[in-house]
Amino acid sequence: MGVDETYRNYEHPLYASLEKMPGITVGLARLDQLLQWGARNSLWVFPMATSCCAIEFMTAAASRVDLDQMGTIIRPTPRHCDVMVVAGTITVKMAPRVKKLWDQMPEPKWCIAMGSCAISGDFYRDIYSVVPGVDTICPVDVYIPGCPPNADQVMVGLRRLQEKIQLQREGKWVEPDKRPDDPRTILPEIGLYDRREDDMTERQHEASRHLGVGGNESRDNDDGVISHQGGVSETAGGSTE
Amino acid sequence: MNEILAKLATEFPGVFDAENPDPSGALVPADQHVAVAAFLKENGFTKYVTVVGSHYPASGDEGVAEYEVGTVLRNPTRNSFAFMWRVRIPMDGEVPTLCPLFAGADWQEREQFDLVGVRFGGHPDLRRLMLPEDWEGHPLHKDYAIETAHPPWR
Repeated sequence: MGVDETYRNYEHPLYASLEKMPGITVGLARLDQLLQWGARNSLWVFPMATSCCAIEFMTAAASRVDLDQMGTIIRPTPRHCDVMVVAGTITVKMAPRVKKLWDQMPEPKWCIAMGSCAISGDFYRDIYSVVPGVDTICPVDVYIPGCPPNADQVMVGLRRLQEKIQLQREGKWVEPDKRPDDPRTILPEIGLYDRREDDMTERQHEASRHLGVGGNESRDNDDGVISHQGGVSETAGGSTE
Repeated sequence: MNEILAKLATEFPGVFDAENPDPSGALVPADQHVAVAAFLKENGFTKYVTVVGSHYPASGDEGVAEYEVGTVLRNPTRNSFAFMWRVRIPMDGEVPTLCPLFAGADWQEREQFDLVGVRFGGHPDLRRLMLPEDWEGHPLHKDYAIETAHPPWR
């Protein structure tokens, strides 16, 4: 099913009347930059979340990879949002609903296909009830490969979308994204996990030592190593030798 | 288990066998289906667990395509166990519904009708549950092609 793109219009209706004023074009260029900056840095996300990718998307919104740091707010209604993130398998019964929600979103709007099911259907592709890729029912701007993609990759996808918005608003040609050859390729380009400090794990163990967590395990020894009561491994190793 | 089987064998002679029980559930004629369920409900099997339908295509020269419907009830006491029996009907036949006995049977039977195609006689609202309303065919038939197209969505 083809998608009609002719209704897309990124021009603001105020422009036509404003452009008649003398000397206003200099100001409008600045205003355009401002609007571009605002659109790029306040991506409100509508999570069209149907299955396990939704859990990973929640992880991306949580503390380690924080989507709020780039102005991304998750709203449970399409009418507030700029980006629809399709996270999960879309079935034939769900497809008209997805299309309806996409049509309810105000322009300008973008769509991200997150995970191999939303990209191509993946291993559910040939089943009678599954739509083979969400780009058959609405235009997709960014594909995030993975099954499911980890939180880093969600961040990479949103950064890619920001880049696209910036280039589009500057009037440059942007090559439309293609379906990745292998929807399960894992290509994390930014390593947010590397920012974790070396001794953070030890400090967390230190903090949890007095909480009584861990059941039979005790962390009372000074070097922070978890020791099991009974010392089974020690005696077993000694007896075999 | 033996206790309820002995009761059933005396109540429905020739259907249930207390000495040599069928491990996959006794085969009950369709006209005694509701009577068996009512008898089990009176004897403590008050929890309707599930109904399992399956399609058996015609095999061989004289084979007739059939539906087999297994019903599972559970005795929700301390030593609880599930009890299952089976009903076989031809493709154009009907299994009597258990909705008057167990209200929970409503959606379970609708699901089996939707996916397998078993018709439940006397069901108050036998519509599709899982698939869209305008779907054609029943996908768990053995002869249903898995790549069936459904334009415009697929």
